[in-house]
Amino acid sequence: MDSVRTALGLALLLFGVFVFFSAVLGLFRFRTALNRMHAAAVGDALGVFCLLLGLMLMQGLSLPALKLLLVLLFLWITSPVASHLLAEMEVLTSPDIRAECKEEKR
Amino acid sequence: MTQIRDTLLTVSAGILAVLMLAALVRAVLGPRFTDRLVAVNMMNTMAVAIICILAVRLRDGFLVDVALVYGLLSFLTVAVLARTVSARQRRRQQESGEGGRRNG
Repeated sequence: MDSVRTALGLALLLFGVFVFFSAVLGLFRFRTALNRMHAAAVGDALGVFCLLLGLMLMQGLSLPALKLLLVLLFLWITSPVASHLLAEMEVLTSPDIRAECKEEKR
Repeated sequence: MTQIRDTLLTVSAGILAVLMLAALVRAVLGPRFTDRLVAVNMMNTMAVAIICILAVRLRDGFLVDVALVYGLLSFLTVAVLARTVSARQRRRQQESGEGGRRNG
């Protein structure tokens, strides 16, 4: 039972590392800042979720596992707020934002 | 099993460190300020992940507290920088009309 839990945690951990790898790959492959934010949000949400869930499984039910859950909740709450502020800044300061993303006419 | 677990934890922490270096390269290269800030945000998230991995690897519970404080500080950094740049840009636009868009 214990080794099954550890194996499951290790699998989740490695998947989280893979998600982080694809997020960094997206940082290099995309061209504009808004597209790069899209790639970074994958790592912020799914990567951290899988990685910390794997660590919690490995840790077992204890106080550090609850603290890991707290870290996960905190990152999930603050990452959309930071993304929103970054997107607002990008829209305000980019000189050719209207060419990068087409807005619909009303 | 313990041997495999410790080895895999160390290896994944090492991979995350290499990915942090790659994100740092992006932060140096990134043509606009927003690109740099997105890369720094990514780096901070990975640093929190590495500290959590280290807490499980070394069986030290208090390192998770360090990760929590690191996450708080990284969010504060990004929020303050983004809001400052946005406020400065708004003021500049009010002073010089709509034509005042510049690369921040």
